[in-house]
Amino acid sequence: MAVAVQNAPGQPAQTHADVTRDVVATLAPATKGYYLLLAGAVGLFLIGASTLLLIVKEGLGLAGYNPPVFWSVFITTFVFWVGIGHAGTLISAILFLFRSPWRTAVYRATEAMTVFAVMTAALFPIIHIGRQWLFYWLLPYPNQRYLWPNFKSPLLWDVFAIGTYFTVSTSFLIFGLIPDVAAVRDKATGWRKTVYSMLSMNWQGTDNQWRHYSRAYLYLAALAAPLVLSVHSVVSWDFASALIPGWHGTIFAPYFVAGAIYSGVGMVFTLLIPLRKYLKLEHMITDYHFDNMAKLTLFTGTILFYAYGMEYFVAWYSGNTFEQTTFFRRAFGPGWWAGWSMIIPNAVLSQLLWFRKVRTNLTSLFVLSIFINIGMWFERYVIINSLTSDYIPYAWDQMTPTWADWGILAGSFGWFGMWFLLFAKNFPVVAIQEIKEFIPMPRQRAGGHH
Amino acid sequence: MSDNDQKSVSRRRFLSVLGTTSAGAAVLSGCSTEKVEKLIPYLVQSEDQVPGIATIYASTCAECNAGCGLHVRTREGRAVKLEGNPEHPVNAGRLCARGQAGLQSLYNPGRIKGPMQRTGDTWRQIKWDDAIALLAQQVGAAGSGLAVLSGAPRGSFSNFLADWTGAAGGRLVRWEPFDQSTLRLASKRVFGRDEVPAHDFAKARYIVSFGADFLDTWGPTVEYQRQFAESHGFSREGGMAKHVYFAPRASLTGLNADEWHAVAPGSETALALAMASALGASTGVTPAQAAEATGLKAEEIVRLAKEFAAAKPSLAVAGGIPSQHAGAVELCAAVHLLNQAAGNIGQTVLFGGDLDHGDGQAAFAALQQAMDAGQVKVLVVHEANPVYATPKAGKFVEAFAKVPFKVSTSLVVDETTVQCDLVLPGLHALERWDDANPRAGVWGLMQPVMEPVYPNRHPGDVLLAASQKAGGPFAKFTAANWEAHLKAQWTSRAAGDAWRAALARGGVYAPAATASVGAPVSMTVDSKAPTFEGSGEFTLLPYASSLLYDGRGTNKPWLLETPDPVTKITWHAWVELHPDAAARLDVREGEILRVTSAHGSVEAPAYIYPGLRPDVVAIPMGFGHAEYGEYAKDRGVNYLDLLGPTTGDVVAYVGTKVTVERTREYRKVAKTEGTTRQLGRGIAEAMPVAFAAKGLTIEEAAKAAGHPAHEINTEREVQALKGWREGQVGREEGRGRRLGNYPGEHPMWGMTIDLARCTGCSACSTACYAENNIPWVGEDQILRGRELSWIRIERYWEGGTDGEPIEARFVPMPCQHCDNAPCEPVCPVYAAYHTPDGLNGQVYNRCVGTRYCANNCPYKVRYFNWHAYARKAFVAPFDLQLNPDVVVRARGVMEKCTFCVQRIRGAQHAARVADGVIKDGELTTACAQACPSGAITFGDLNDPESRVRQRAQDPRGYHILEDINVRPAITYLAKVVHREPAHAAPGGEESH
Amino acid sequence: MAKVTSGVLASFEHIDAACDTIKALRARGHRKLTVYYSHPNHEIEEACGHQSSPVRLFTLIGGLTGTTAAFSMQIWMNRDWPLLVGGKSIVAIPAFVVIGFELTVLIGSLATLLGVFLLSVGMRNKGVIYDERYTDDRIGVFVPAGAADAAGIEKLLRDAGAVEVKHAAA
Repeated sequence: MAVAVQNAPGQPAQTHADVTRDVVATLAPATKGYYLLLAGAVGLFLIGASTLLLIVKEGLGLAGYNPPVFWSVFITTFVFWVGIGHAGTLISAILFLFRSPWRTAVYRATEAMTVFAVMTAALFPIIHIGRQWLFYWLLPYPNQRYLWPNFKSPLLWDVFAIGTYFTVSTSFLIFGLIPDVAAVRDKATGWRKTVYSMLSMNWQGTDNQWRHYSRAYLYLAALAAPLVLSVHSVVSWDFASALIPGWHGTIFAPYFVAGAIYSGVGMVFTLLIPLRKYLKLEHMITDYHFDNMAKLTLFTGTILFYAYGMEYFVAWYSGNTFEQTTFFRRAFGPGWWAGWSMIIPNAVLSQLLWFRKVRTNLTSLFVLSIFINIGMWFERYVIINSLTSDYIPYAWDQMTPTWADWGILAGSFGWFGMWFLLFAKNFPVVAIQEIKEFIPMPRQRAGGHH
Repeated sequence: MSDNDQKSVSRRRFLSVLGTTSAGAAVLSGCSTEKVEKLIPYLVQSEDQVPGIATIYASTCAECNAGCGLHVRTREGRAVKLEGNPEHPVNAGRLCARGQAGLQSLYNPGRIKGPMQRTGDTWRQIKWDDAIALLAQQVGAAGSGLAVLSGAPRGSFSNFLADWTGAAGGRLVRWEPFDQSTLRLASKRVFGRDEVPAHDFAKARYIVSFGADFLDTWGPTVEYQRQFAESHGFSREGGMAKHVYFAPRASLTGLNADEWHAVAPGSETALALAMASALGASTGVTPAQAAEATGLKAEEIVRLAKEFAAAKPSLAVAGGIPSQHAGAVELCAAVHLLNQAAGNIGQTVLFGGDLDHGDGQAAFAALQQAMDAGQVKVLVVHEANPVYATPKAGKFVEAFAKVPFKVSTSLVVDETTVQCDLVLPGLHALERWDDANPRAGVWGLMQPVMEPVYPNRHPGDVLLAASQKAGGPFAKFTAANWEAHLKAQWTSRAAGDAWRAALARGGVYAPAATASVGAPVSMTVDSKAPTFEGSGEFTLLPYASSLLYDGRGTNKPWLLETPDPVTKITWHAWVELHPDAAARLDVREGEILRVTSAHGSVEAPAYIYPGLRPDVVAIPMGFGHAEYGEYAKDRGVNYLDLLGPTTGDVVAYVGTKVTVERTREYRKVAKTEGTTRQLGRGIAEAMPVAFAAKGLTIEEAAKAAGHPAHEINTEREVQALKGWREGQVGREEGRGRRLGNYPGEHPMWGMTIDLARCTGCSACSTACYAENNIPWVGEDQILRGRELSWIRIERYWEGGTDGEPIEARFVPMPCQHCDNAPCEPVCPVYAAYHTPDGLNGQVYNRCVGTRYCANNCPYKVRYFNWHAYARKAFVAPFDLQLNPDVVVRARGVMEKCTFCVQRIRGAQHAARVADGVIKDGELTTACAQACPSGAITFGDLNDPESRVRQRAQDPRGYHILEDINVRPAITYLAKVVHREPAHAAPGGEESH
Repeated sequence: MAKVTSGVLASFEHIDAACDTIKALRARGHRKLTVYYSHPNHEIEEACGHQSSPVRLFTLIGGLTGTTAAFSMQIWMNRDWPLLVGGKSIVAIPAFVVIGFELTVLIGSLATLLGVFLLSVGMRNKGVIYDERYTDDRIGVFVPAGAADAAGIEKLLRDAGAVEVKHAAA
């Protein structure tokens, strides 16, 4: 039959050529607005970097630490970013295993988000320690003093979990990119062509390459799926394996994983809704995708609702006065405002997603996603602030963050935003090859194949 | 130490060089970023110094006039730690926080580097010879216009001053702001003995204090605290004495009383007389009258009187700062009569002891008058700071200005010194030859234990030299130098070998001669309360802090950083209000209040304190210095600015009415406490004396009292704990510590803290700062709760609500050295680990500062170096005090109580060299060593004979937070109270 | 490009055409075909009839290596420097499980990647000609053949519906 008609840009893609063209189009030279955004991100990053320099020079005392609150905004932000990462791997790996069709359009962007979020999080274990220049002592490297790290410490589990998560998610992203980079290479010209050729690693899409590639991708997904569940569980055990009332909970691992995915999808909304508009990908990333992600948010949000309730129930039912005091103060103590900034956006607002109208209205989704980000940051802040009132009342105290805390927090957003913007403009944020999988190729004979 | 003794000079100077450099070494070993200093090896090995081995000198503490004996630990020629001299009759080896901080007056950065002369408002350094020449010339011309105002303790030097001034017909006034002249004058009047009697709290079975803060500032507090602990600390044989405290405010002494009665200021006299009359003395005051005056019930007064009489012997004391009003002498007289009526004179009130006291306010006033009249030509001020320590309204400054030539021998620039014309900085007690005679028969010696930090001179040397130049009446003072003069004085007391022996023992101690006194020569006491001047609704109450004393402690960061034992406030002054008064004025903690009297007005943040009468406001003394070094200067407000001029022969610290206004400005109060209630968590346990006598445990006592023992632990936890308590003290058949239990020859270090003895004085905490190179962090850091005090004294309130009497519970909280220490497994680099002898070790140099250990410590006894605190805290010459056996912690590492591991290892090494065993009591921690009450016991729990093992088995023993199964190595012995212990509010809500 | 494999390269726009051709060629005994396509496609894979990739062996061995390495490292290091912490035993297996799992995943994934690169992506099939549209919307089939057979094969391909045919000569 006839060769498929080439339709105009922006129209729903009908042929593979359209897909390639539209995605390649997103890599066109950037506009002023893009550079403004990028400059903003770099600016924030520089604020964070200089704050860190001051902290290294003067000491952690610059931040608002107030014993017994020995951990605070930095660890909060660490957990926040690790959590963000999880949505990406969930969508790209777990949904891949479940063969759920709506992942294809969004997984590349979310996966990139994962990698950059983990890159951000990975900075914090270093930033937050007292002698940042000695962070490598946590690694089991041979040294002339025959000292090894303590593998019984949850912090060491963190080192391995975050390290593994970063390595695996990064290679997963790069691996998935190879065929698309090749596609871009074959459209590009000039120096960009040389660069993309190098990055494409000789990909030509031969039957042999595809054969190994598809298999490997499957196994990587199979390994990444349990990994994503493990990482936030390990992070949660930093708290759960301590004996601080408010930390010492068996519910923590699932509770944290759900929270992580919830916050991650929230961040996906925050990033994708503007991005798709800017890159004119409305016809590829559609309401259908957002609707499904919103359902995922609703699901995890509801798990959080349950977890919050269960925490309070256990505190009451245990009859343990330490637990009871902690949770009483969480809601009505000096830090009540933080407590409610966690419960309302996460447990309550997420329930709005029962309404299809909310799920499919991008404005409402975007606004909600901002609340989700704030709420989930506060969740971690509140949990860590259980330190304010543990066993010895005489030692109780509140903490107030300082400019140093905010500086590092801002810096982390700048660092993340910087990488994400650079990625979005230089690599296909939509998986060309996988979209093509869902667009049948033309046939000579009528009728599908059998 | 003398100037002509060249050999010793060169040696000591050389040693001090070594001292400084090894201070550098100590800093280095702490990985601090301080600049590297070279270590200089010995060229000639000195005979009495072995590098790395401490040399102990006996000396006498001069921080107040109690005259406690010292053992000064010196390392490489510098004093690094002060401890009590066990042989000394006053303190018997103990030392208070102020005594510990003596090192910080020795190494104070504010010390004057050399003699200075003032012309107009400009100071210039001058040579010693010129200074002495100038002094000689002035003194020679002064004639009978020569006067000396001295705060120095009684001893050879004060005698010398007396002779020296006397020679020219001049005058010597020995003046102490906190002298006990009220008691002295009363003794003179009632018994015809012009002396301050000694008291025996150890013997007393019933102690009644009318505002005499014998645990804060009244008399030789270390001795009294030791005695108090003996009688009031519980023992199953001896039971426990009862302590009743009458004063408008509960001071530390009040908080240690079994009954505190907030009597109206000034009504104490009537009360004492009423009690006496209830015992049959004819004082003419009936309980009913006293009841009306004080606000107590008549029958209550009778009950107290009966109890007082029934307990034999009992003891009533009076004359402290909180009851020092215009009628204070009357009060002391009344209390003498009360003791007389109860037959305590000669039993617990001992005349003949003749405690050191100044010449009193009368002599001071006379001197001021003479100065005012221009009769004083030359005034030498020695160890006194009258410009600060007298009420502004007293106009001392004006009189002082009229003296043409004023000389100060002060070590630091204080308010008086800046107004002098010539400054001849003296030597610290640890740098000089001197002695002190705190009471009849007791002569304590001071000897130079090190090269002076600054090459200054003992006033004795200066005056002797000046005398030679001046000639005339002074020509007779021919001693070559002060050392020679002093030794001459001692020939009668101890010569030759006896002298050397005395030097080694720290002095000569004859038992205090007791003089028997007959019936009172006068029974007349004016019982009516003095009238207070001014019209305010509040009576102003002074609060003499046991740390800052009369203000001389304020230039020592240790004393500013150590929380006030009652309020737990550090570094700044405050205004205390009763909760009701605060509610009425709608004042919250931290609001700046303006307190105004007829004579002035001060502003300080409010602190709401239930241990106070609603009609008084209390302000701490010792703050508000205009000079006195960088730490004291412009810190807080001076109580004395509000007082009127002193009339009569005692300073009426109480006697001013004030108004309190809100400013609606707020500041955070720099206190180290979070929540003041223990929320029923069984942290500070107590039991009635009846149950303790039966030998009940706290659980049994609680059941017996009808309270359920707080059950927060699950069956599993109960199982886990089963057998451990016994196991901890009896390691038979491997019970007790499963893991972390190293069987075999290792000792297992443990500690017991007896809350029935602990008074909360905080001496242990200060001693810990001194021993372990703990940096002070300052007000701004304490506002963020970042203090590093390895052993903190927690103070919890019990009762105080709905009519219940308020009760304070003090809990010293060092690291508990748990067997199952939660801090250890969470450290990713093994910086926290368990040593074979049961210590919870902390390897500073391995610590990277994740602070996870501190989070996971249920007792919150781990402290973090948020900044390079050492740089600020050990600024020269404070760094000379650093203990070379302990590293100075770098920024970014966690630190904590180590049970003074350096002492443990030191003792173990010494033992290895000698017979190989450490005998119980040979080794103790700095806190246990200092504790004047002997509340802390440290030792080997594996040794069945050790005292700590015995005490850990006491039925009162319990472990804080035992239910969480971390298995602490510290056993607390529950406090014992005379009434039913008030029980804490159930957990959940907190109340401040 | 060093030495060129001589043969015929055909481009297809229609998937069924391409698959039929591949099947036909294999039937004619052409085993060394190279097929280019832009996305994972089951029809083509069926047509090529490969058996599934050995890369899984890398994954399996890598994973197991990770587990063993993790546990032996932790056990050895704890025994090598035995310090008691919190009254726990020196070798506390439950505490080691986490790192055991993480290293399984880490080394498993890295081995998988290594496998792929060794097996394919790393090495382009040298000397075989290629067309840039194969990553876009066309399917390419390269039949290695000597000059002799070339004409016959081209005819077959054209009949099968190749929209373009190129020749590569050594």
